Amino acid sequence: MAKSTDLRFLREVLLFKDLAEDEEAAVWASLEERRLRRGDVLFREGDGGKELFFIRSGTVVVSKHVKGRVEQVITRLGPGDFFGEMSLFDDQPRSATIQAEDDTVMYGLDRANLDRLIERNPRAATAFFSQVILVLIKRLRDSTDLVAEVTRWGLEATGLDVERPATGGM
Amino acid sequence: MTTGRARIELLVRSEAGDDFRVTKVESSLAYRQARPQRIPEAQYEVAALRSNVRRSTTYVVKNRLTEKYIELSEAEKFLWDRMNGRTSIEELGVAYVLEFGAFDFDIIHGLIDKLQRAELLTMRPVSRLREVLARNRRNPAARAAEATLRALERLTVGSRSAHEAFARVYRYGAFLIFSPVGVGLLILVTALGAKGTREIWHTGGDIYAGFGQHPVLALVLVKLFFFLTLISHQMLHALALVHYGRRVKEFGFTMLHGFLPTFYADTTDVFMGSRRARIVAGISGPLVHLFLGSLYIYLASECGPGLMKSFLVASAIIQSQSLFFSLYPFCFLEMDGYHVLVDWLGLPRLKSESVAFVRHTLWGRLRSGMRLSREEAVFVGYVVLSTVSIAAFVGLNVWFLVHTT
Repeated sequence: MAKSTDLRFLREVLLFKDLAEDEEAAVWASLEERRLRRGDVLFREGDGGKELFFIRSGTVVVSKHVKGRVEQVITRLGPGDFFGEMSLFDDQPRSATIQAEDDTVMYGLDRANLDRLIERNPRAATAFFSQVILVLIKRLRDSTDLVAEVTRWGLEATGLDVERPATGGM
Repeated sequence: MTTGRARIELLVRSEAGDDFRVTKVESSLAYRQARPQRIPEAQYEVAALRSNVRRSTTYVVKNRLTEKYIELSEAEKFLWDRMNGRTSIEELGVAYVLEFGAFDFDIIHGLIDKLQRAELLTMRPVSRLREVLARNRRNPAARAAEATLRALERLTVGSRSAHEAFARVYRYGAFLIFSPVGVGLLILVTALGAKGTREIWHTGGDIYAGFGQHPVLALVLVKLFFFLTLISHQMLHALALVHYGRRVKEFGFTMLHGFLPTFYADTTDVFMGSRRARIVAGISGPLVHLFLGSLYIYLASECGPGLMKSFLVASAIIQSQSLFFSLYPFCFLEMDGYHVLVDWLGLPRLKSESVAFVRHTLWGRLRSGMRLSREEAVFVGYVVLSTVSIAAFVGLNVWFLVHTT
C-alpha cells in the first residue's frame, strides 16, 4: 500500500508527473524498491538487464571502464533522476556501471510494467516518453561537452601544442 | 569557452573490488606525472656537432623510421637521455635543476613538443600550412594557394630508392672520385684551366664573336647546356653520402622555391656522419663546376676562333659563376658554402639567429655599451658581410648594365 509520502515523491519524478491518482497507486505497486549501501554496485557495464531505475534518495556514480581498476566518471545522479532506460528500450547490455556513492534508495520499473502503463494511459505514457527524450537530449549534450573536455585534458596533459607550426626540424 | 585547467574524474576500485574512490585529475598534474618515453634505441640515431664558436656541443637526433631529424642542445640532450618511460616530467625538472642550477618549465614543454613532432616520442605532426588552407577552402585565395601547392608538388619527380642506384654507380667506378686519383685529376684539370684562362686573357678579342648573328639564342643554349650539367652537381653530393656510408634518401627534380627548375638530392642523412663527411659532401657538388669550368676553358684555349670556342668560354664562365655562388656563404641564401660554414662554426641556425639578433637585440646592446660575445660578433659579421655582398652584387650589375648599353 502506497503511503502519501511515496505518492508525493512519485509526482516529483518528471517521468510520472502526468499520472492520475489511481494510476499513481497502480504504478507504485509495480515498482520494486532497491536499497544500496555506499560502495555497492547495482549493475556493471556489459551486464544484462531490462529495468529503468529512479532514485529516491542518495547518489549514484555512473562510470565507464578505462583500464585495469580505473573507470571514468561519466556523471552523478541524485534524487528524482533516472537511469537504465537504454537497456530497457534497446535490449543491449548495460553501457555503464552504477554504484552507490552514499546509501541510496531507488525503484525499478521493468518493461512489462511500462507496457501496462502505456496500454492503460496513453496520455501519461506520452508524457513519460517526452520526458525520456528531453533527458536523453540533455545527456547527449553533456556527452558532447565531456568529449571536448576530455580532448582538452589530453592536449594539456601531453603538452601537445597543435596550434604551433612544427619547430626544431631540419 | 573553457577556462582553467581541464579536469577529469576517475573512479578507482579497490583490489578486492568491493570499494572505490573517486579522484579528480587536473591535466597539469597528469602532465607533471607523465613519463615520456623515447622510441626504441634501434629506431633512432644521435650524432654530436661540436661548435667552435660556442665551445659547446649540439646533437642531431634522427628517427630512422620516419627519416625526421631534430637538433638538441646539451640541456635538451640531458633531458632526452632521461626520457626512459620511468622518469616523470616532475622528476626530469628536479634532475635538470640539480644539473644546471636553474629551471624553466618551457624547456621540457618545448622539447616534448619537438620530439612529438619528430615522432621520437609518439604523436604525428601535421602540415600547419595545409591544415590552415584546408580549413579555409571557402576563401578563394586559400583555395588558389592550395591548388598551386598541389600543382607544384606534381612537378616534383623524385625517387626514394635512388640510394641503391648511387651505391651501384659508386661501386662501378665513382669511388675513384673520392680517391687520390680523383683529387689528382681535379688538380690537373684546374691547372690546365688556369693555363687556358691565361692564354685566352692574353689573346683578347671578342670571345663571343663566334656566336655570329644570334648571340642571345646562343646564350640561351649555353644556359640549357648548363642546366643539364646541374644534375652532376647533385649526383656528386649523393655519391659523397654513399662514400661515407650514409643514405641518399631521395633524388629527383623539382621547382626550387616554386619557380626555379632544379635537380635535388636529399642529403640530410649526412648530419649523422662525421664533420669531414659533411664538409666533403657539401663541397663535392660545387667542385663539379670547378672541374667543368676548367675543362671548358682549357678546351676553348685549344680551339681556333669560332662557334665552339665561344660556346666553351661562355659555358666556362657560367660554371665559374656557379662555383662562386655555391661556395660563397654570405648572401642570405643557404647554398653549399653556407652549410659548410655553419658546420665549421657549429651554428646550425646561423642565418635565422643572425637576422633575429641584428633586428631585435643589436641596437639595444650598442646603446647600452655592452660588449658583444664571440657568438654575437659572428652573427653581426654574417649579416654585415651578406648585406655588403648583396649590395656589391646589385651595384656591379647596375654598373654593368649602364656601361654596356
